[in-house]
Amino acid sequence: MSYLRANPNMVPDLLSQIQGTRQQEDTATLQLATGSRINRPSDDPAGAAQMISNRDATGQVDSFLRSISSVNGLLQTTDSTLSSVVTALQRAISLGVEGANGTLSDPDRAAIAGELTSIRQQMMSLANTSYQGEFIFSGTANAQPFVGDNASPSAVTYQGNSGTNSVAVSKGYSLQVNLPGSQLFTAPGADTFQALTDVINALQTNSGVGSAVTELNTAYSHITAQRVFFGNAMNQLQSQQSHLNSEKVNLSTAATSISGADIAETATKLSQAELALNAELAAMSKVSQTSLFDYLK
Amino acid sequence: MSNLSATLSIAVGALAAEQSALSETANNVANLNTPGYSRTVPSFVENPPVVLGSFTFGSGVSLGPIDSIRDAILQIRIQQETGQQGHLDALVTGLKQVEAQFSNQGSDIGSQLSALFASLAQLSTDPTSLATRQGVLAAASNLSATFRNTANSLTSQQTNINLSVAQAVAQVNTATQQIAKLNGEIASLQNVGQDASAFLDQRDVLINQLSGLIDVSQIKTESGVTLTTSNGTALVAGNQSFALTTQPDVSGLQRIFAQGTDITGQVNSGQIGGLLAVRDQKIPALLSSLDTFAAALAIAFNGANAAGFDLNGNGGANIFTSPPASGQGAAAAMGVAMTDPALIAASSDGSAGSNGNLANFASIHDQGLIASTTPSDYYSGLIFNLGNDIANASAELQSSQLVLQQLQDQRGSISGVSLDEEAAHLVQYQRAYEAAARMVTTVDQMLETVIHMGVNG
Repeated sequence: MSYLRANPNMVPDLLSQIQGTRQQEDTATLQLATGSRINRPSDDPAGAAQMISNRDATGQVDSFLRSISSVNGLLQTTDSTLSSVVTALQRAISLGVEGANGTLSDPDRAAIAGELTSIRQQMMSLANTSYQGEFIFSGTANAQPFVGDNASPSAVTYQGNSGTNSVAVSKGYSLQVNLPGSQLFTAPGADTFQALTDVINALQTNSGVGSAVTELNTAYSHITAQRVFFGNAMNQLQSQQSHLNSEKVNLSTAATSISGADIAETATKLSQAELALNAELAAMSKVSQTSLFDYLK
Repeated sequence: MSNLSATLSIAVGALAAEQSALSETANNVANLNTPGYSRTVPSFVENPPVVLGSFTFGSGVSLGPIDSIRDAILQIRIQQETGQQGHLDALVTGLKQVEAQFSNQGSDIGSQLSALFASLAQLSTDPTSLATRQGVLAAASNLSATFRNTANSLTSQQTNINLSVAQAVAQVNTATQQIAKLNGEIASLQNVGQDASAFLDQRDVLINQLSGLIDVSQIKTESGVTLTTSNGTALVAGNQSFALTTQPDVSGLQRIFAQGTDITGQVNSGQIGGLLAVRDQKIPALLSSLDTFAAALAIAFNGANAAGFDLNGNGGANIFTSPPASGQGAAAAMGVAMTDPALIAASSDGSAGSNGNLANFASIHDQGLIASTTPSDYYSGLIFNLGNDIANASAELQSSQLVLQQLQDQRGSISGVSLDEEAAHLVQYQRAYEAAARMVTTVDQMLETVIHMGVNG
């Protein structure tokens, strides 16, 4: 045999080609349907591993963002409570200054003392404010922080503790979210309740009203100073939130570039595969249809 | 000797030779689609001449031995490549089933772990809330269920593959029996000088099948082909076959024995080699990684809980059931030990509203948990290795398929039946037959002339 013989049976070759093309078609269809280039780890092992880190980081960012919105609610409640406290104290101070005026009659002072007593009650209820069922000024204790005795108003006891909580609001950054009530309302030398009681007593006895008002002033400036903490914390939250939001965008951009299917390219691949498949099927239908036998009569 | 009857006998010999050649053509055409069939080409041999004095007369043609067109070396290459392909095919199929466990991106171990960390972060904003605490326990229970399901699916895949091993061994035994029988037939035909090509083709097909199942080395001997496994134990010697046996080991996995010797570890090629690679290497390695992961996570979370105080002010108990000391089976046995959400130790100082200890949980996320790898990195490493194994095996499988296809093409170009060729032969032999027949007629007429010479003349 002095000629180069070709494999007369072309069917297996063609069949395997057709299988290969069908597989390309399947892959392209799956990628178009899911929008993702990586549907199994073996599609791109390194990409799949990166996607796991990416999903983990995204999950963490989402969780930080959720924490921020919960903490934000707590901080806003605390801040607005303190704002009411400050307003009430301002009113108490101006009442005290009014009461210090020596020309006032006893009934006038008694009236002022009465108003101050109700401010003191209001203060009590503000200091026992709760957010989502928890007292915001009890430290980390789960109990009503301030308990007073209406019969003897001077006896206010703090039942909370001095603990504070911090919440992680971004990777490696935890924000303190509360101040114990003892630090705000019953701080040594700036005890709000004591100051109010002292002013009320001074007005009732008409002695030492001036020094009692000074005490009230000290308590006022103490609370105002402490309130700054919450303003700062909310600022921090806001900046962390915008930072996290941009990080989330970055992560999702990264995810798209790692695993996103290029739709245009994939669609082209799909139509190419379809074209190839048609050609192969046409070839298959023609193959072995003719041989020399057809020409022998 | 150059007489008419000699000429007649030359013509008759030619008729017989062409007819036999035609029957070979018919046989080739008939076996057009027979797998493993090697086409035959009849060879015409000139008969020894007759010498009369100074004259030499030809004495016609007869059909020589029929050549079966085959390439023994190519056949061996095909068998080797078939073995390689069988191995890769079983490996890729097995691994792809394994991969399915890790392809669901929404509910795999990685996302369940992220969900657990997220639930703990949620708890840190509201440490006394029982609903949020319940959320942590639910996330922990989802995580352990995912570990358990993944490990159990892997184990059941291992069991299924184990069944396939036993089936494939049975196929090996059927093939070796048939090969031994064919060896006997071939030897007895060849001993009397007959053509055994039909049996040779069948034997090649069977050896090819066998190579697709298990490692086979072949040695051609006078009594046929001797086939041995990778360690040299005979599968077929002459007309005798030696069956492989299987026996389950303590864990129920079938070990393969050749004449009493355990050859399980030595089977690398063919379907059985691929099945064993998945059953004995890939799945156990994955299971052990999962066990390490599950045990490390359970210990870390239990440790974090133990460092704090629960809602009642008591020290933290175990959240997850303690993993077995060896770590083995930790993934399949992972579970949540805690039922009362109040027992999650969020507090660092015993006060109910404290969330101080939750930082210990959160730090697990970035801790070098296993060989200074964070949990997320450990899991992504596991996925990378699995994906990489499959991607590599698939690429090898594809190239092996191409090589095999080329070898088959090459075999086809040598041994395959071409209808064009057969049609040409048909014409050739038919014309020669017609010519020989014409020759007989002519000689007949001449003889008639001779016979009537004296009568009418």
